[in-house]
Amino acid sequence: MNPQALMDGLVSGSMIGLGAVGITLTYSILRFANFAHGDFISWGAYFALAVAGTLGAAFSGLTTPIGPFSFGWALPLAALVAVALNGGLALLVDALLFGRLRKHHSTVIIMVMASFGAALTLRSLLEFIFSARPAYYSKALQIALPLGGGIRATPDQLLSLAVAVVLVVAVHLLLTRTAIGRAMRAVSENMALAGLVGIRVRRVIRVVWLLGAGLAAIAGVTAGLLVQIRPQMGLDLLLPLFAAAILGGIGSVPGAMLAGLIIGLSEAIAVQLVGAQWRAGVSFVILVAVLLARPQGLFGRAE
Amino acid sequence: MPTPAVLATRGLVAGYEADQPIVHGLDFSVAAGELVVILGPNGAGKSTFVKAIAGLVPVHAGTTLLGGVDVTHLPADEKIRHGLAFVPQTENVFATLSIRDNLRLAADILPKTARHPRIEELYAMFPDLADRDSRRAGALSGGQRQMLAIARALIVRPLVLILDEPSAGLSPKIVAEVFAQLKTINRTGVAIVLVEQNIKAALAVADRAVILVEGRLRHEGTAEGLADDPRVAELYLGVRPAANPPAATP
Repeated sequence: MNPQALMDGLVSGSMIGLGAVGITLTYSILRFANFAHGDFISWGAYFALAVAGTLGAAFSGLTTPIGPFSFGWALPLAALVAVALNGGLALLVDALLFGRLRKHHSTVIIMVMASFGAALTLRSLLEFIFSARPAYYSKALQIALPLGGGIRATPDQLLSLAVAVVLVVAVHLLLTRTAIGRAMRAVSENMALAGLVGIRVRRVIRVVWLLGAGLAAIAGVTAGLLVQIRPQMGLDLLLPLFAAAILGGIGSVPGAMLAGLIIGLSEAIAVQLVGAQWRAGVSFVILVAVLLARPQGLFGRAE
Repeated sequence: MPTPAVLATRGLVAGYEADQPIVHGLDFSVAAGELVVILGPNGAGKSTFVKAIAGLVPVHAGTTLLGGVDVTHLPADEKIRHGLAFVPQTENVFATLSIRDNLRLAADILPKTARHPRIEELYAMFPDLADRDSRRAGALSGGQRQMLAIARALIVRPLVLILDEPSAGLSPKIVAEVFAQLKTINRTGVAIVLVEQNIKAALAVADRAVILVEGRLRHEGTAEGLADDPRVAELYLGVRPAANPPAATP
């Protein structure tokens, strides 16, 4: 096996992990599998594309690549704006759709079906606005740096990996060390009791949407930076995202990240061993195996 | 002059479905420093009534006044800010969080400087909890959980503390401890409303009792008088009277 598969797996796994953290947060607190999460990833990528393009057109200096990276300051700035815009989009979808269904005490299956509808709408809107043609943040070529042991990585790949790790640690600290994190864990465990102790549940739900959509935006930007930007990019990531969220244990942020890396590595190894056409099947096999053998995942608690 | 009610309901109609109310126009009140127990057979609507007061069950008509303020349709997270604390019968602690985190969650609605001192006050009142501070609430015994749930409800210094069957699933010794603790809290001026199936233990600590049957108030009186009234026990609580009961009035 080519050792480069390890680096490829870690890089794609970090993107999967970042998206899976958003899935696991919304799943554990809002109590439904949000199939629109992949499309929040796509929207995040396109928000950043639009903002970076606008910034680049207004201030050409912002497109000059920073150090060894393939992009200029326009992209990191655009990524921050994309986080905010994606959060706003998630709140809008919640206000128009999920919030109304919650108010009517809709069942989980209704929420899941609604998320399918939201996913289709969001994806179609992206195709309508940006077309289905692939787009890129940068077309600059990067030379992969040798890291030893026959492994190479581009500066963009190393940055993506570092950003994912930093964000996951930050979210984990937010959940375990802050008042809003405690409130999120409480709502996740028992929403009615959370209200009785004075937690403003609606505020917590808004924070969860903002956090999940913000992480989705960053996952979209890193995916767009390393591969390409397409309206379907989120859909393609959906199965690995859910496999990682379930493998990590619903509600566990470190679990989602670790599981994302495991799935990324498994996919990369499968590509080496059995061929690229089986890549998508890896997540499916892992998902089914976890559901059969350890449904609570690596870090979840058995019900 | 009668003591003004700190909590009062007027014609409260409540239930999960508007067309099938479980509570039918209940008038109820509790004064500051009073301990009132709500009794009644299974299915009488006792739990639904207190849940409706707490904001967990929809209210379809009538009002709930807390300290003279209409809180009928406020959500539960607002009612606690007005001084109404509710301890559910089951799942009344966050099992995955530590004892301290359970208390900190409730303390988060206090001003920042008041949070830590208030938790320490509660630890002084419940030393068993202080000794297990970092233990997960899910690992506590039934009695310890109940104490934690009560301590958490007291964090905000409520005007009224409502408990839904706090003795459920506890041994007689622990029930006695829980009720003794409730009486101590009550003596500090907190009004307590207790829904109970454990009639003997509840009447022993209560000042007053009301009996609900099919969502309606059927009897009201002092706890002492009610405890000695065999007709009430037979008619509403399903308890057979002792030998030689007094003749029933038509």
